[in-house]
Amino acid sequence: MTGPPSLQRRRLASRLNALSVCVVTTFAALAVAFWYFQVVMNAEYVRLAENNHQRRLALRAPRGILYDREFRPLVENRDAYTISILREHSRDLDRVVRRLAEATGVAEQRIRDELDRHRSEPRYRPVVVIGDASLAQVSAVLARRLDFELPDVVVERVPTRRYPALGVGAHLLGYVGEASEAQVQTGGLRPGAVVGQSGVERAYNTELMGTDGERRVMVNSVGREIATLQEIAASEGRRLQLTIDLDLQLAAEHAFHALGYQGAAAFLDPRSGEVLALVSLPAYDPNNFATGIDRATWIRLNTDVLKPLQNRAIQGRYSPGSTFKAVVAAAALEEGIITPVFTVTCRGGATFYGRFFQCHSKSGHGPVDLRHAIEKSCNTYFYTVGNMVGIERLHKWAALLGLAGKTGIDLPNEVESLVPSPEWKKARTGEKWYAGETISVAIGQGQVSVTPISLANLYAAVANGGPHCPPRLLKAINDGQGWRPPDEVAAPEGPRLKPETVAALHDGFWLVVNGAGTGGRARIPGHDVAGKTGTAQVISLEGGRRAAGRTERDLRDHGWFAFFAPRDNPEIAGVVFAEHGEHGSSAAPIARHVLETYFAKREGRPLPAFEAPPGAPAPAAARGAGAGQ
Amino acid sequence: MFDRRLCAHIDWLMLGAVYLLCAIGVVMIASATADPSRATASQLPATQVYALVLGTGALLVCLVIDYRSFGERAHLIYGGLVLLLVYVLEFGSVRGGGRRWIALPWFNLQPSEFMKIGLALVLARLFSETRHQAPSGRELAIAGALTAVPVVLVARQPDFGTAVTIASVVLGVAILAGMRLKLLGLLLAAALLTAPAAWTFALQDYQRGRILSFVNPSRDPLGAGYQQIQARITVGSGGLWGKGFRKGTQGQLSFLPVAHKDFIFSVLAEEQGFVGVLVVLALYAFVVLRAVDTARRARDRLGALLVVGVLSSFLFQVVYNVSMSAGLAPVKGLTLPLMSYGGSSLIATLAGVGLILNVRMRRFTN
Repeated sequence: MTGPPSLQRRRLASRLNALSVCVVTTFAALAVAFWYFQVVMNAEYVRLAENNHQRRLALRAPRGILYDREFRPLVENRDAYTISILREHSRDLDRVVRRLAEATGVAEQRIRDELDRHRSEPRYRPVVVIGDASLAQVSAVLARRLDFELPDVVVERVPTRRYPALGVGAHLLGYVGEASEAQVQTGGLRPGAVVGQSGVERAYNTELMGTDGERRVMVNSVGREIATLQEIAASEGRRLQLTIDLDLQLAAEHAFHALGYQGAAAFLDPRSGEVLALVSLPAYDPNNFATGIDRATWIRLNTDVLKPLQNRAIQGRYSPGSTFKAVVAAAALEEGIITPVFTVTCRGGATFYGRFFQCHSKSGHGPVDLRHAIEKSCNTYFYTVGNMVGIERLHKWAALLGLAGKTGIDLPNEVESLVPSPEWKKARTGEKWYAGETISVAIGQGQVSVTPISLANLYAAVANGGPHCPPRLLKAINDGQGWRPPDEVAAPEGPRLKPETVAALHDGFWLVVNGAGTGGRARIPGHDVAGKTGTAQVISLEGGRRAAGRTERDLRDHGWFAFFAPRDNPEIAGVVFAEHGEHGSSAAPIARHVLETYFAKREGRPLPAFEAPPGAPAPAAARGAGAGQ
Repeated sequence: MFDRRLCAHIDWLMLGAVYLLCAIGVVMIASATADPSRATASQLPATQVYALVLGTGALLVCLVIDYRSFGERAHLIYGGLVLLLVYVLEFGSVRGGGRRWIALPWFNLQPSEFMKIGLALVLARLFSETRHQAPSGRELAIAGALTAVPVVLVARQPDFGTAVTIASVVLGVAILAGMRLKLLGLLLAAALLTAPAAWTFALQDYQRGRILSFVNPSRDPLGAGYQQIQARITVGSGGLWGKGFRKGTQGQLSFLPVAHKDFIFSVLAEEQGFVGVLVVLALYAFVVLRAVDTARRARDRLGALLVVGVLSSFLFQVVYNVSMSAGLAPVKGLTLPLMSYGGSSLIATLAGVGLILNVRMRRFTN
């Protein structure tokens, strides 16, 4: 057995041995590779596998419901449906967009624009492309999802705010919107979170927001849900009871609309500072914001010359006119400068510092004491007394009685009311105060400019005899364990006025309404309404331009009516501001209607219908255009 | 014809390992084809068992008849299979982008799977007649031609994976038959040199894409690189002990395409973990080493080379498929012998196993 066959045999044997070694080596190498992937790198691949088949769907928490003081719902939630695209797993985004546009009838470009807008966000976050989808759109999408045609599209049920129709209470309730980048960073919010952007919605956003839940689902490779792995339910935000009385709110807004005025109104319970109604007109429809406002509406609201987004009650500043005389009278009496029987003889005006200041009665009111000076709103009397008191003490008492500065109402972005002082003027213009300027201030003109809420605050203080509570809207809060009052309720502030001061002021304001004064339109027999009208001059600000005819603005004066009732032990106080109402008597019927409604409710009578007073201006229809959009 | 005493020499250990692998395969197919959203079981495991029965028949035929008889008729078997391949190209039924099957009433025949054995037979016979220490150039040329014919026919179906597998047979048999290693080196060098030309002219776009995305899977993570990335995730997330039968998320939720065929090993790795991988790899290694041992003990050169020929394609497919399962090789439509779903593959593989057992069983007879 020598020669080729045995050589062949040996070579075959050696090569078979080599083959065995190769086989063992290869299988060992494979085993090592699998050990590396499966044991060493296991955690990383487990994460990737989970990311593959698990999707986290947010369950949006409904915001807390807002009730009025009688637990009638003001703001509730409804279910809206959003349609979103998941970009992370999408293999052909373009096709998804085309299919989705086809199914929902939405223009392809709009969907692409939305995707573009969120381009820089992490891809795992779904992009909402249709904010408030119709049921037809939802069912079209769901049907196609079942056929695997739209695997990367999700339909989510999102609780959405429902506000009262016609913008009732729009400014006080506020609206919600997506958190801005600044809000996300400072507030620790999730991007895309819906937060209160104004009004009560913003002031109490933390309480109202609630906690989002989450659903983890298992999906297969085409995005179809196979099972729910975990579900953490969303918890609703806290419910709030507001101090608002819906009947009074509706009565006030209705009266404004009936008379065709824009403006503002605030009605308070002077004993507690509770706001019973807070009006600002023209209003907007907060429902437009609930699912994300469209650009056109947003631009229209922002550029409207009537400024429907401004809350005039806390953000509009106007001359208080004669309503300011309450501060002059209180300061003079409290500082001991005059007594209520101090008398001035009005001859249609008087000269101070070399300049003649007119009274509105050209023939003059004759000799008037404090009560009658208030009743007739005699300017001569208040020029004289104001001059005696001086600007510093006027400023001091305006501040003590809650007119100057902010009232501290629990709403965002309240502006300060301005009652000038020499320091203020020095700081602002660098000039010293001229005594002659005090004369204009004494009748609420000149540099005085106040918000309606601060004027309401002043009259609440007068009604109470000095002390007053900052206006507030939150009555009680429910965090799931029943209703409890808010944690901190500000204590009353302001000095207690002397009884003779209170008596003189209350008598004077009672005479305005029930005597020969300008507030007769607010008279309610048997209820002793006390009040004061005022006129805020528009012309003084715009006079020059009107002369040149260059402005299209309405230059008619604004009308004020500030009030409390009843005269003894007042329960309700406030202010009505009728923009371009020309005189305070035009604002009085609005206050009267609200007061009538208030007393009717208290006495269990049916709510009254609004009656326009004889001789009231016809509704200025064209000027009401901004209302109730 | 059949001596009962031969039964004593059947390699029961290897046979047991083979059937254990088949059984594991059926179980994994059941898991991979179950639809988690429906309660009904899939038909595919039953089909696989049916193929296993047919395959056992094939195994018995290849075991009982003396391998030398097969060797004597090797050219006939080879010729018949070439004719079938030609027939398939003309009249075969098309499925999944390839013309590969002959539809029989009780079975879909895929001749290319059987060609691996046919080629092993004819090459074993060719090289067993070599009179010198190394096969002559003429013999190598004939072997090359014999290989080229089925390779070209299968590649035109097109079934690139199987074509390469068939080509692996000639390499194994020629080397073991004593081919000079210098010549082998020359061939490899030539292959490397022609690779750029082959890249440009011989490959289709999708094939180039697959190779590119193997080099860099993130090139197209949702396209060509997808399967490779998913395969790696499937394997890696299995861990040491696995997620459990039918608990694998990757396989169950069809992130892996054709999990019951090409990626059955990934499913195993996910659900049975590294431990399951080790067991199955050990079984394959045992079968292969047992076959090498059979070749060593073979009574004659024909038997040894026949075992090597059958083993070549088997080994190539196992190593390639397992590598691919972990994303270590470009994705290619290659099944895992014995475990993957597929009738022809299973039957042909079992027939091959029958031949190997045949050689071992008859190592003492004359």
